[in-house]
Amino acid sequence: MAVDTFAGTGTDAGALSGLGELRACARAGTLAERYPRVRPLLERLDDDALVLAGRLLARLSPAEVRAAHPGIETVRVAITGRCTLAELLPPLTAHLARHGLLLEPFVSGAGHYRDLTDPGSVLYAHRPDVTLCVLDPVTVWDQITPPWQPYDVALALERERQRLTEAAATHARRAPDGSTLVFNTVPLLRRFAHQLTGLDRRAELGGIWREAGAQLLYLADPAAGLAVLDLEPVLASGIRADDPRLGAYAQAHASPAFLAAYAREAARLIASLRGGVRKCLVLDLDGTLWDGTLAEDGPTGVSASGSARAEAFGAFQRTVKQLASQGVLLAVCSKNDPGEVEAALTAHPEFPLGADDFVAVSAGWGSKAEGIQKIAADLGISPSSVVFADDTPFEREVVRAGVPGAAVIPLDADPALHPERLLAGGWFDLPSVTEEDAARPARYRERGERESSRARTADYAAFLRGLGVRAEVRPVREPEAARLAQLSQRTNRFNLTGARLTTGQVLKHAAAPGALALAVRAADRFGDDGLIGAVFGRAGGDGLRLDNVLMSCRVLGRGIEEAVLAGLLHAARDAGHPAVTVHWRPTRYNAALPGWLAGLGFAAAGRDRYRHPLHDLPEVPAHVDLRLTLDPEGGTGCSASTC
Amino acid sequence: MLSVDVLIARVNEEFGIGLQPADADVDLADLAEWDSVHLLRLVALLEHELDRVLPVHDIIGARSLRAIWAAAMES
Repeated sequence: MAVDTFAGTGTDAGALSGLGELRACARAGTLAERYPRVRPLLERLDDDALVLAGRLLARLSPAEVRAAHPGIETVRVAITGRCTLAELLPPLTAHLARHGLLLEPFVSGAGHYRDLTDPGSVLYAHRPDVTLCVLDPVTVWDQITPPWQPYDVALALERERQRLTEAAATHARRAPDGSTLVFNTVPLLRRFAHQLTGLDRRAELGGIWREAGAQLLYLADPAAGLAVLDLEPVLASGIRADDPRLGAYAQAHASPAFLAAYAREAARLIASLRGGVRKCLVLDLDGTLWDGTLAEDGPTGVSASGSARAEAFGAFQRTVKQLASQGVLLAVCSKNDPGEVEAALTAHPEFPLGADDFVAVSAGWGSKAEGIQKIAADLGISPSSVVFADDTPFEREVVRAGVPGAAVIPLDADPALHPERLLAGGWFDLPSVTEEDAARPARYRERGERESSRARTADYAAFLRGLGVRAEVRPVREPEAARLAQLSQRTNRFNLTGARLTTGQVLKHAAAPGALALAVRAADRFGDDGLIGAVFGRAGGDGLRLDNVLMSCRVLGRGIEEAVLAGLLHAARDAGHPAVTVHWRPTRYNAALPGWLAGLGFAAAGRDRYRHPLHDLPEVPAHVDLRLTLDPEGGTGCSASTC
Repeated sequence: MLSVDVLIARVNEEFGIGLQPADADVDLADLAEWDSVHLLRLVALLEHELDRVLPVHDIIGARSLRAIWAAAMES
């Protein structure tokens, strides 16, 4: 009977098969059981199909999914606003699932987000990791009665700002540590603005409205627990924000399309707060980065300028270069002759991107999945932290199948659409970009030089001695807190507990009496690695307790991690501590760490704890020049020989 | 959209629920799987399928799926 199913919805065949599988699971009652299958299915769905998938997923009990898959990462989200927001749940559930997060929602029915300013509200009892305070398109207009002038709207907006500021203050006090409150900018609807017939007054209203939005945006400090979603660029892509009929008859002032777009942005924000950031963008060449086919047109024949189509590739290259300037590592994976690729990358000084912009190039005729695996291995990053962009569907399928967890961006034949397709997933969004991010590509290039030097030196110990490794460990200073928080979000392999911290939590920890929050910096003759590690702990009667130790994968294997721990053990004994206890909590990536701790003389001491009795201490590796100080003033540092 | 049965089939598919053809005449308040959000979705679904603007007030006020279908078809 339903022969016209999906006619005209614009949902493609891949999405249909993905939806079909989800529906079959839902009908059979096996969706919770088969939940790990959901994420790869969602990867292929467009936004419309995601909403439909979300309706199925939102009906699942999170507790049931968790019972079937205890390791799944959950995010507790409270949703509050003035109007009916139920339509936010399906797209939010689906977008978060696409980021690998299981939504545990609480939707408030309080209206006017009064529950945010009530410390005893059910919203806070939900203990939200994130609170979405949805400001719908009719915000403040219910307080405006005729006759009105722009001044009346300015007053209403100011009252709203005060209410939101108060809500943010209560949220900061009452929500769990590390929780983030999210506001959003509000579009100015024509049906209100055009009630002013004087064009001068209408322009004044527009100015007042944008000023209020700007003030809200200036409040944003996502790393410190307050984020503001700027919806203007989202709505400018052609989304109707409200449906007056649903507003009038059902108190649904935000259109389903508005809520779906909001959900997409909120899910990206939540994923970035959770450290779900991708590190490396791997790009195809022909039809992706330039116009032409290298194998046919030759290194000088491909173009990114000179014609309208080629200029579109140039614009895409500039978008990619802008991402790289903020720490995204760029790599090439191309089915071409390696020599030709190198020649093409160096033959075009007029291209925005040149050979120096790429930290790795994989060119050859093998599978692109293998190429990406090799790039990730060479860079020392997880293949799942890669984003791959290619205009060829076959190559995308190969990578989807062969590099589980990698994000795959479908580019098509029109390069003019490449930039927005690249940015659509928000894969590289971060709570804040630090100086370390900007320096990252250069540091990975230095890493490459180091690796080649290592390959040339047969004796690894001699290689290490020749590196001239320096490591500095000292209490974190305030400007470094954002980088430490970011390290906690980005590091997986060498992260003893997997705990993700916000900047606020780092500062709070550092300020606590008896607490230890140390930043680790490293450098060698190939360059300065910057701030690459952190140690969190506290001193107590039973000795020094290390709550977490993190180290960037980029520096592992140079003896720095051993030097830091050995230095801390020596410092702890010198300070008279009876023992050092380390907390290890297993995650998907850090299973190797207990063995590493045992190698340093730690022994298991109860659940997830390892203890060093400080009798027989490991030496700081001789090739590492360690400078370690636990004194915040930095005056009494000690070198490796004395710690 | 040829009949209320087709409407129910589409509703099941899009909303992820399992209504039966016999549910067409049941008061919406008595349908276990139905809630007010579904009504809003139904308006969007019908407008999309029929490719015209519908009298939302009449549809929201209807008490059964058959009544909703009739209100949509009469408009």
